[in-house]
Amino acid sequence: MKKILGHLMWAAVSVTAALALGGIALNRGEPINSLWLVVASVCTYLIGFRFYGKFIAAKVMVLDNDRATPAERLRNGHDFEPTNKWILFGHHFAAIAGPGPLVGPVLAAQFGYLPGTLWIIIGAVLGGCVQDFIILFCSMRRDGKSLGQMAREEIGKVGGVTALLTVLCIIIILLAVIALVVVNALKGSPWGTFTIAATMPIAVFMGLYLRYWRPGKVLEISLIGFALVVLSIFGGQWVAESATLAPIFTLSGVALAISVVIYGFFASALPVWLLLAPRDYLSTFVKLGVVFMLAIGIVLVRPQLELPAFTRFTDGTGPIFAGAIFPFCFITIACGAISGFHSLISSGTTPKMIAKEWHAWPVGYGSMALESFVAIMAMIAACALQPGVYFAVNSPAGVVGGTHEAAVATISGWGFPVTVQDMTTLAADVGEQDLFHRTGGAPSLALGMAHIFASTGGGRAILGFWYHFAIMFEALFILTIIDAGTRVGRFMLQDVLGHVWKPLGRTSWIPGVIFTSAAIVLAWGYFLYQGVVDPLGGINSLWPLFGIANQLLAAVALCVATTILVKRHRARYMWITCTPLAWLVTVTFTAGYQKIFSPWPRLGFLAQAAQLSASGATDAATKALIFNARLDAVVCGVFLVLVTTILIDSIRVWVGILHGTREARTSETPFVLSRLRPEEI
Amino acid sequence: MKRLRKAGRLLLALLRELGDENAYRRHLAAHGKEHSRQEWQKFSQERLRWKFVHPKCC
Repeated sequence: MKKILGHLMWAAVSVTAALALGGIALNRGEPINSLWLVVASVCTYLIGFRFYGKFIAAKVMVLDNDRATPAERLRNGHDFEPTNKWILFGHHFAAIAGPGPLVGPVLAAQFGYLPGTLWIIIGAVLGGCVQDFIILFCSMRRDGKSLGQMAREEIGKVGGVTALLTVLCIIIILLAVIALVVVNALKGSPWGTFTIAATMPIAVFMGLYLRYWRPGKVLEISLIGFALVVLSIFGGQWVAESATLAPIFTLSGVALAISVVIYGFFASALPVWLLLAPRDYLSTFVKLGVVFMLAIGIVLVRPQLELPAFTRFTDGTGPIFAGAIFPFCFITIACGAISGFHSLISSGTTPKMIAKEWHAWPVGYGSMALESFVAIMAMIAACALQPGVYFAVNSPAGVVGGTHEAAVATISGWGFPVTVQDMTTLAADVGEQDLFHRTGGAPSLALGMAHIFASTGGGRAILGFWYHFAIMFEALFILTIIDAGTRVGRFMLQDVLGHVWKPLGRTSWIPGVIFTSAAIVLAWGYFLYQGVVDPLGGINSLWPLFGIANQLLAAVALCVATTILVKRHRARYMWITCTPLAWLVTVTFTAGYQKIFSPWPRLGFLAQAAQLSASGATDAATKALIFNARLDAVVCGVFLVLVTTILIDSIRVWVGILHGTREARTSETPFVLSRLRPEEI
Repeated sequence: MKRLRKAGRLLLALLRELGDENAYRRHLAAHGKEHSRQEWQKFSQERLRWKFVHPKCC
C-alpha cells in the first residue's frame, strides 16, 4: 500500500511539473504569475533528485554505506570530520552560493523570462547537479583530492597543469567582473557607498572582539555585526540626506574601482582574522538569511512576471550584452544551471566531511538543485519589474543614449514604455539620485527584491531601506569573494613563482606576499578598470568572458568525471557526463569564436578594435580601448586553447581505454569497512 | 512541536558549523584542552589558514 501511494505521489509530482513547465512555455501575450515558475522548478528538481540522481548514485557510482569515507578514516577533528548530512548540506550550499546565480539570470532576462528559466531548470537537473555530485563522489573516493590533483592523476600531467592555469585565469576574470557589479551598484550612490564602507570597520571590530574580548563566540559577534550593518543602512540614509557628507560618499566609477582595488590588496595582505574571516562569517549568515527571506517573500507576494516570455533581443541585439540567445543565454547563466567553479568546492572541503557515502546524493545533487532555485528566484525578481524600468536600469548609455530623454525614447521605441518621470519617482522612492544606466544586474535585482520585501508589509515607505538592504547583501558577499579570491590567487601565484625563485613561494616572506598580492590585484584591477571606462558598460565584454571561462572549467570537470566513469564502466555510462560536456563545448566554443571573430563590433572583440582603429582617433583613451579589445580576444583565445588541450588529452585516454591499449587504472582508495556508529554523526 | 524543536536544533548546529564553533569544540575535545583565548587563537589561526587557501564560489 505504501509503495502504491509512493508511486501515486511521484506520478502527481511529474504531472504537476509537466503542466507547470507547459504552462510557462506555451503562455504568450499576458503576464503570468511567478508561482508557475516556482512549481515547475521545484517539481522538476524533486523528480531529477529522486530518479536521475538516485540512478547515478545506485547504478553508476554504486555508493556504499559500508565503505568508510575519508572523514571516518582520516578523522582529525579539523578538516576531516564525519558531519550530519543536513548540516553538511547547508555548509556545501553556503559554499557554492555566490553572486553568479543572482546576477546571471537578471542579465539573461533581456531575452525574456522563458529561455533563462528553462536553461536554469534543465541545465541544473541534467548538468550542474550531475557535475557537482560526480566530482564530489570522485573526490570522496580519493581522500578529498582537488580537481587539479584528480586531473593530473586520472588524465595526465598536461591535464593537471591545464586545470591549474584555467583556475588562475578564471579567478582573475571572476574577481574583475564581480567587482564591476559592485562598482556599478555603488556609482553615484552615497547611501550605498556609506553602508558598504561601514562594513569594513564593523568587520575589523568583529575580528578584534573575536580574538581578544570574546574568543570563539562567532554566532554572538555575527549577530552584533548584523545589527551594526542594519544600523549602517539607516546611517547611509542620513548621509545621503546630508549636504556636507553626501558629496564625500558620492563617488565616480573610477574612484570606486580604485577603492575596491586598494581594499583587495589590503584584505589579501592583512592577517585573515582581522578583516577577511569576520566578514566571511557575517556574509555567510546574511546570505543564507536573505535567500530564505526571498523565498518566503516570493511565496507570499506571488508577483506577476511583467517581462514577456521572449523579447525582441533573442536575435542578439540586446542592450545589456550583445549576442543571440544561442549561445549567449547559456553562458550568461552559469552558476544557476552549471558552474565549473562548483567542482572546486565539491573537491575541496565537502568530501572530507561526508560521514556515509549515500550522503553525497543530497549534498552533491540536492545542494545544486537548491542553488538553481536561487537563480529562479533572481529571475522572478528581475522579471517582476516593469520591462521599461528593467531596461532603463540595465542598459548602458553607449547603447540607449546618454541623456534620460534619449534613453526613454529608445527603450519605449522597443515596445517597453517608460518615462523619465517614472524613473525619477522610483529613484526617489529608493533613495537614489538616478537609476538610469546602472548596469551590472545588482541594482535591478535589488529593485526587484525591494519590491517583493516591501509588498509583504510597509509598502513604498520602506522601499529605500529594502533596496539598500539588498545592495548591502549583494556587495557584502561579493567583497568577501574578492578578498578571499585575491588571497587564493596570491597563493596560486606564489606556488607557481616558487618554482622560479624559492623565496617567492614562501607565504610568510613579506616582500613575496606584497609582490604577489599586488600582481593579482593589478591583474583583476586592470580588467575592472577596463570595464568601468568601457562605453558599452563593461558587462557587455566582461560577463561573457567570465561565463565562457566558468563553463570551460565545467568542461574540465566533466572531462575528469568522464575519464573516471570510463575507467569504472567503459562506455556504458559515459553519456551521463558526455551529454552536458558536449553541450558545454558546443556553447562555449561558439560563444568564444563569436566573441573573438564576429564582424559586428558590439559582439566581436577584434571587430571592435578594428572599428576604433578605423575611426582615426589617436587619443590615449581610444588607444586603450583598442588594446583592451585585443587583450580580451587573446584571453578568450587562451581559454579555448586550454580547454582544447585538456579535451584532446582526455579523449586520448578514453579511446585508449575503450580500445584496450591503455590500462584503466584509477587512483581510488581501497575499501575499508565503516565502523562509524549512528550516534557519532 | 517536537519536530520544530528538532529543526531548530539542526539549524543552530548548522550555524555553529558555519561559524566554526563546532570545529573549535572538536579541536578542544581532540586535544583534551580547555577553552581559553590562547587556545582559540591557536585554533583560529590554523583553521583560517586552511580555509582561505580554497577559492570561494562565484
